[in-house]
Amino acid sequence: MSLLEVRQLSMRFGGVQALERVSFTVAEGKIIGLMGANGAGKTTLFSLIAGNERPSSGEILFENQSLAGLRPDQVCRRGVARTFQVVRPFAGLTVIENVTTAALFGMRRYRDRAQARDAAAAVLQELELGDRAEALAGSLTLSGQKRLEVARALATGARLVLLDEVMAGLTPMEVEAMLLTLRTLHRTRGLTLVVIEHVMRALMQLSDEILVLHSGRLIAQGEPPAVASDPEVLRLYFGEAA
Amino acid sequence: MSPARDLMVVLALLGASAGVPFLGGDYWIGVGITAFMWVALTQSWSLLSGLSGYVSLGHVVFYGLGAYVVVASWEVLPIAVSLALAAGAAAVFAFATGMPVLRVRGPYFVILTFGVAELVKFVVMAAEAAAGNASRLILGTPEIETLFFLMLALAAAATVLAWGVRVSRLGHGLRAIREDEEAAETLGVPVARYKLLAFVLSACIPGAVGGAMALRNTYFEPLQAFDPMISFSMIAMAVIGGSDDLRGPVVGAACFVFLSEMLWANAPQLYMIILGLLLVIFVLFVPEGLCGRLFRSRGA
Amino acid sequence: MIETLASGQLLFAALALGATYALVALGLNLVYGTMRLLNVAHGDLVMLGGYLTYWAFALGGISPLVSLLGTAVAAALLGALAYRLLFRAMLGARRTGPRVEANSLLLFFGLSIIAQNLAALVFSPTPRGYEYLSDVLHFGNVALTGNRLAALLVAAALCLAVVLFLRWHTMGLAMRALIEHREAAAVVGVDIDRVQIASFAVGFGTAAVAGALVSMTEQVSPFMGFPFTVAAFVVIVMGGLGRLEGGIAAAFALGLIETYGVALTSTNWRSILLYGTFVALLLARPQGLFGRRAVMR
Ligand SMILES: Nc1ncnc2c1ncn2[C@@H]1O[C@H](COP(=O)(O)OP(=O)(O)O)[C@@H](O)[C@H]1O
Ligand SMILES: [Mg+2]
Repeated sequence: MSLLEVRQLSMRFGGVQALERVSFTVAEGKIIGLMGANGAGKTTLFSLIAGNERPSSGEILFENQSLAGLRPDQVCRRGVARTFQVVRPFAGLTVIENVTTAALFGMRRYRDRAQARDAAAAVLQELELGDRAEALAGSLTLSGQKRLEVARALATGARLVLLDEVMAGLTPMEVEAMLLTLRTLHRTRGLTLVVIEHVMRALMQLSDEILVLHSGRLIAQGEPPAVASDPEVLRLYFGEAA
Repeated sequence: MSPARDLMVVLALLGASAGVPFLGGDYWIGVGITAFMWVALTQSWSLLSGLSGYVSLGHVVFYGLGAYVVVASWEVLPIAVSLALAAGAAAVFAFATGMPVLRVRGPYFVILTFGVAELVKFVVMAAEAAAGNASRLILGTPEIETLFFLMLALAAAATVLAWGVRVSRLGHGLRAIREDEEAAETLGVPVARYKLLAFVLSACIPGAVGGAMALRNTYFEPLQAFDPMISFSMIAMAVIGGSDDLRGPVVGAACFVFLSEMLWANAPQLYMIILGLLLVIFVLFVPEGLCGRLFRSRGA
Repeated sequence: MIETLASGQLLFAALALGATYALVALGLNLVYGTMRLLNVAHGDLVMLGGYLTYWAFALGGISPLVSLLGTAVAAALLGALAYRLLFRAMLGARRTGPRVEANSLLLFFGLSIIAQNLAALVFSPTPRGYEYLSDVLHFGNVALTGNRLAALLVAAALCLAVVLFLRWHTMGLAMRALIEHREAAAVVGVDIDRVQIASFAVGFGTAAVAGALVSMTEQVSPFMGFPFTVAAFVVIVMGGLGRLEGGIAAAFALGLIETYGVALTSTNWRSILLYGTFVALLLARPQGLFGRRAVMR
């Protein structure tokens, strides 16, 4: 069954066509890798799905229901969470308060604040932020703030999590750790993930399926080995990089 | 310190001051009324601005409307009813204006609230002029002791309300909005609804306080009832006491009432200058306020 | 009624008011544009300029058109001082943008309270005025006093000078670069600190000159400033941030709205018109001075 379905999605910002008639589906329980050069429209796609921006045209279905016209908080409560590529911690709140917010207001909507806090603490453990729980979020390192983004998204209880370059700017060791964490989370929580990443090797290892965006258009999709040998991808993407 | 302990401390202080009418004369009762007024106003202001970061520079509009309602309904309605009406009118005004006004963010929100309050002031002035009233006098207002306990009750109510909001989901959501509204909304916080709710909650008690002060002053004059300095004082007290702290308004109000008793009667301008200086100094050097500095409640 | 409205008299009044607003708004536009500091004390500089001119005239018998220069220099120095002492550190430690904006606003607000009450304490709250060039001149059927004409001419000339400065002078170019894009300006080698101090100086100086001109035709008082701040905000929102020519057009539009609005209603409505326009504009453009939306990443 498809959890997310994107149909003919387009987005214009003034003169920039950030996305052009993009269609794809995401099956429940899969990890989808999203690739594309800078400015390809990856982050825009997340913003449209999460309700941060309104599409110019096209449709987004989650669990076969349209998300059209929903505000970000409503989309979140349906069970979709995103992270921000440029991290947006609640800098003046503590790490645990950041994550508790997600637990209180996300899909799971704990009524009881103590319970929400316990749930948040558990998520922090999973992301190895447990010992920083009482620190102000603004005082974390970049790596810490990226993990906090993931922790908040998870604590909402979302079924679909959109991760926007959560490994960018991390050291190779930190990338390894994050990969391990994501795999574990995927397995233990039965999450569906869409992952934007520039670290190609990591993405190929992690994903069940890869989507490639180029200048707002979806130019390839399929299993990692197939995409990696797709002539158009090789020309446009790897060709440029090589 | 936990919020519950803060609440106990503030309520105990307020409770202890209930003894003033039995010990001191009218002067001290008057000082008490002023102090409770500021606690009630600043506590209400902090509920919105301290928690959500939407700094209102126009809170006097609720106070002024409350005063106007009480004076306009004088000798028509029982006092209790008109005070409730004053709070209600302020809440309704907040609800009606809140939706458009709260879409405006950051510094624009600050100056917009100021503009709205001034606009209402001039509209009320024009309405009063058209009706042939330069100012209104009301006779037969309650005894000063009654007003003392009324204001004490309003201060306590504002404190309990502010506490209730702080420990609730609403308070948690408002703090997230203060830190990053976009991120808060993406994590499920219903930002528009929460901002409006906080705006309305922070308007009620100032409405009733304005009504009570009209009874205390026994007259109504738009320039005084909508004096922007009242808004300014709320902000200064909250900033000096600490705006995200239940004890902040009490500390701020105590400093101010002390200063004003020393200076207001003889040197009102000097008083305002000192307030201005204090605000500048605190914004520059102690942005977290006295409570944030003295009893750092967070383990950061 | 129709005759009054159609007469050159009102049009001239609207032009004079518009020229003053344009001059006041120029400075606010510069300080806000280059630093994102919303100076709510801007109108108090008008008050300050008014008092300096008044005292120069009352004590030294110095013509306002002469003391203008001294007033401008004094206010410009005050601006540079305020920047150095209060705002530079705050702008330097710019980590949380919105909080700097809100804090700087409270800071300006505190300064505004101090300025107003200091003026009331030192000069007393009584409004003060003086007679200068108050003879009535006739141009066709338009009767106006010499001081109004002089004020209009000086304001218009100064606006023009500032526009030319921004267009042709290196420092003016740097200011516009900063208004358009702060980081980019720094990258191409603009010395941001110098531009900021210059913006404060020019902004404060022009506002004080506006005050000097106002004092020639109206009484000065300690609390006269805030309506000028509001008018300047209206002008900037209407005309566009950093769009100084647009601002001048908007200032005349506001002058027309206010003058004709008051003529059609009554003087009680002057403030309602001004604040009403202000509130309506901000509600119509909730993003404030930028039409841009927050970039979501
Ligand atoms: N809020 C916005 N306003 C205007 N243009 C935007 C906005 N967001 C993104 N864009 C433009 O859309 C294109 C896609 O951007 P983005 O989705 O961030 O790309 P990616 O995440 O793949 O690097 C870029 O050209 C970018 O400049
Ligand atoms: Mg991106």
